[in-house]
Amino acid sequence: MVNGKQKLFQIGLHVVFSAIVLMCLLPFVLLIMTSFTDETMILREGYSFFPSKFSLDAYAFLWNDKENIFRAYFTTIMVTLVGTFAGLSISSLLSYPMARKEMPMRKALAFFVFFTLLFNGGLVPTYFIYTQVFELKNTMMALIIPGLLTNGFFVLIMRTFFMNSIPVPIIESASIDGAGEFKIFFKIVLPLSLPILATIGLMQTIGYWNDWFNGLIYITDSKLFSLQNLLNRILLNAQFIQSNASSMNMSDISAGAKIPMETIRMAMAVIGVVPLLCAYPFFQKYFVKGLVIGAVKG
Amino acid sequence: MGKKMTSFRGLCLIMLALVLVLSACSGQKNGGSSNTPNDGAAAGTDGKEQNSELKPYELNVAYLNIGTATDMPEVQAAVNAITKEKINATVKFMPIDLGAWQQQINLMLAGNEKLDLLVTGSGLNFGTQAAKGQLVPLEDLLEKYGQDIKKIVEPDVLKAASSSGSIFGVPSVRDWAADYGVLMRKDLVDKYNIDLSTVKTFDDLDAVFEIIKKNEPEMAAIIPEAASVAVVTSLVPGLIDPLNDDNGVLPGLDNDLKVVNWFETEQYASLLTMVRRWYDAGFIPKDISTNQTASEQLVKAGKAFAFMAHMKPGYENKTSLLTGTEMVAVRILPPVATTSSISNIMFSIAKNSSDPERAMMFLNLLYSDAELVNLIDYGIEGKHYEVKGEVIGFPSGVDANTATYNPNFGWMWGNQFLSHVWEGDDPKVWELQDAFNKAATKSKAMGFSFTVDPVKTEAAAIQNVKDQFKIGLENGTLDPVKYLPEFIEKLKAAGMDKVIAEKQKQLDEWAAANK
Repeated sequence: MVNGKQKLFQIGLHVVFSAIVLMCLLPFVLLIMTSFTDETMILREGYSFFPSKFSLDAYAFLWNDKENIFRAYFTTIMVTLVGTFAGLSISSLLSYPMARKEMPMRKALAFFVFFTLLFNGGLVPTYFIYTQVFELKNTMMALIIPGLLTNGFFVLIMRTFFMNSIPVPIIESASIDGAGEFKIFFKIVLPLSLPILATIGLMQTIGYWNDWFNGLIYITDSKLFSLQNLLNRILLNAQFIQSNASSMNMSDISAGAKIPMETIRMAMAVIGVVPLLCAYPFFQKYFVKGLVIGAVKG
Repeated sequence: MGKKMTSFRGLCLIMLALVLVLSACSGQKNGGSSNTPNDGAAAGTDGKEQNSELKPYELNVAYLNIGTATDMPEVQAAVNAITKEKINATVKFMPIDLGAWQQQINLMLAGNEKLDLLVTGSGLNFGTQAAKGQLVPLEDLLEKYGQDIKKIVEPDVLKAASSSGSIFGVPSVRDWAADYGVLMRKDLVDKYNIDLSTVKTFDDLDAVFEIIKKNEPEMAAIIPEAASVAVVTSLVPGLIDPLNDDNGVLPGLDNDLKVVNWFETEQYASLLTMVRRWYDAGFIPKDISTNQTASEQLVKAGKAFAFMAHMKPGYENKTSLLTGTEMVAVRILPPVATTSSISNIMFSIAKNSSDPERAMMFLNLLYSDAELVNLIDYGIEGKHYEVKGEVIGFPSGVDANTATYNPNFGWMWGNQFLSHVWEGDDPKVWELQDAFNKAATKSKAMGFSFTVDPVKTEAAAIQNVKDQFKIGLENGTLDPVKYLPEFIEKLKAAGMDKVIAEKQKQLDEWAAANK
C-alpha cells in the first residue's frame, strides 16, 4: 500500500516536472520551427509547430550578410573569452585577499567594492571618462572593460565563498609545509573553488555574450560590432526599409520586399543563442563536478 | 569602541574622497565652460579673416546609417576633394545606427565630443536639443554663409525648424507634405469594374468595399496604414494640425488659431460613425486592433484588399513593389504640410562645433552643389552607379544585395532635388514633388511647437485615456454612440481643458511674436 502511494507520488512528481520542462522548451522549439517556416504561411496560418511549408529564406537572407556575421561572431567570442578570463582573474585576485583575516584594511576594501554596487558614475560621466580620458571609443576594449569593472557583486560572492568554504587550517597547513602565498592560492584555494569559479564564469560569459549596450554607446565602426549589435542593426535596417519605402530607391524596395520579416527575427534569435547553448553543457559539467568535489569533505 | 572609531574614520575618508571627486568634476565643468567663449572668440576671428584665407578644418558630421556604405572611405575622399577646394575643409562622416542614435547623439552632445553637424528632426529629439542649448541658432549664419539655402528653403518652410523664436535646423529638401487616401489592389479593381473616379470622399468608399466583401469574403476590404495604427488615425493629419500631440488641435489647419478639442468636434464624431459602419459591415477584420503585421505584408498574403495611406507623388509604384501586386491610389484629401512633416529630417549645427561658420558653408554646398549631393547620395559614378539616359541605376553585375555603396539616404542630405533620379521612378519625380510641396496647404501654425512641460501630469493622464479608447474607437471596434461620450468625459476628467488652455496661451504668444 505504502509502495503504491509512493509510486503515485512519483508519477505525480514526474507529470508536474515534465509539464514545467515542456513549458520551458516548447517556446524555444516554436522559435526554431518558425525560423524555418515560409513567411506567407505565417501570415496566413499564424505560428505553428508543424508548418505546412518549410523555407530557408530567413537564413538565406542572413547568409547574404555572412562576412559581417562571421566577423561579429569573432568579436563576440573574443570579447567573451578575454572578458570572462580577465574578469574571473580580477575578481578572484581581489576577493581572495579580502577573505584573508590577516589582510590589513580588508573591511575598507570590501566597503569600497560594495559602494560601487549602490552608486555609479551615471551614464554621461562614465561615457565621458571612457571616451575622452581613456579613448576607448571604437576599440574592442570598450566592449571588455566596462564589463570587468562593474562586477562588484561577483567579488563579494567570491569573498564569501573563500571565507566560508575554504577552511583556514588548510591554508595554515600549506604554509607550514612551506608553500608561499602564490602557491597556496593557485594550488590549493583555486582548485577548491571550482564551483564558485564555474558559477561566476558562467554568469560573466552570458553577460558578455548578450551584452549589446556597450556596443550601442561606444561602437560606431561596423567592423567592431558584436553579434547582438549586428543582429539588432540588421533587423532595424530591414524594418526601416519596409516602413519608409517611399524614401528608398526602386532597386532597394524590391530587395526589401523579399525580406521575410517575421522569420528573420526568429532566425536571428537562433543564431544569437545556439553557440551559447552548445557551450552550456560543458560549463554545466564543471559546475556539477565542482559542486560534488565541493570544498573539503572530511 | 575602537572598532567603531575605525569604521567612522573609514567613512570620513570615503566622504573626503567623494568630495574630492565631486570637486574635480565641477572643476572640469568650469574649465569646459570657460573654454567655450575662447572658442567662440577664435571662431570669430576666423570669420573676419574669412575673406583672405580659411584655415584647414575637419568637419565631423553625424548622420543616420541606413543601407550599405562599405565604400564610404572612398566616397569620403572624393567628397573631401570637393570641399577642400571650395571651403578648405575636410569632412569626416560619422555614421550612427538607427538603434543607437538616441543614446550616442545624446552622449556626444553632452560629452562635448568633436561634432559639427548632426541630423536631427521632430522625431529625433530636435525640440529637447534646441531647448537644452545643444544646437547653434542659425539666423546670422544663414544670412552670411547660407544664401543658397535661403533660395531653396523658403522662409515659411524654414520656420518649421524653429524653437522658441530662433531657427535651429535646416530641413532637407524632400517630401514636405502628404496627401491622404486609400491604396487598393489594382487587379481586383479591374476585375470587378470598380469606377474609382466616383470616389470623392471617404463615405463614397462604402460601395467599393461592398463589392469586395461580396466577391472576396476571405479578404478584409480595408485595413489601417500600419500595425498598431487605427484606420481613422492615418487620415486625421489631412484634416487638422495636431500641434505636436492631438490634445487641442487646429481643424482645417487654420481655425483662426483657435485651439479646440478634436475629439469633441462633429468631424471626429462623423469619422467614427463612418468607421463603425465599415466595421459592422465586416469591411474591417475583427482582430485588427491587435494586429502586428505590416499592412503591405497582409495585402501580399492575400488577406486584405486596401489600406489607408498618406502619400506623395509616385507612392503607389513603390508600395506595389512591397505588396507584390500593382496598387492604385485613391487620393481623397489634398496635400498638407505641417511643422512636423517639414522638420522630420534636418541638419543642425552642434554647440560642440568649434567652427560653426564652416559647418554652415558645408550645409550651403549641400543645397547648391549637385556634384557633391550626387556623390554623397549615390557614390562614385561608373563604380557605384551608371547614368542611363535621364535616370541612373546600378552598373551591370551589381544589385541591391551586392552593392558596396547604396546607402539610400538622399532624403537626409540637403537638396535631394539636385540629385539624379533612380531608375523605376518617374524621371520628372523631383519636379512633381516640388510642385506637390508648393501646392500643399500649409498650417497657419507652421513653426509653432508646443512645450508640454507646464501640463506634464495632465498630458500623461490624457495619454492613458487615449490608450484605452482611441484605437478601439478609430478602428470601429468600439461603438461611438456609447463610448465616444465616455471617452470625452474621461479626457475632461484627465485635464484636457487645462492642456488646451495652456496650448492656446502658448500659441497666442507665438502668434504675437511672429506677427
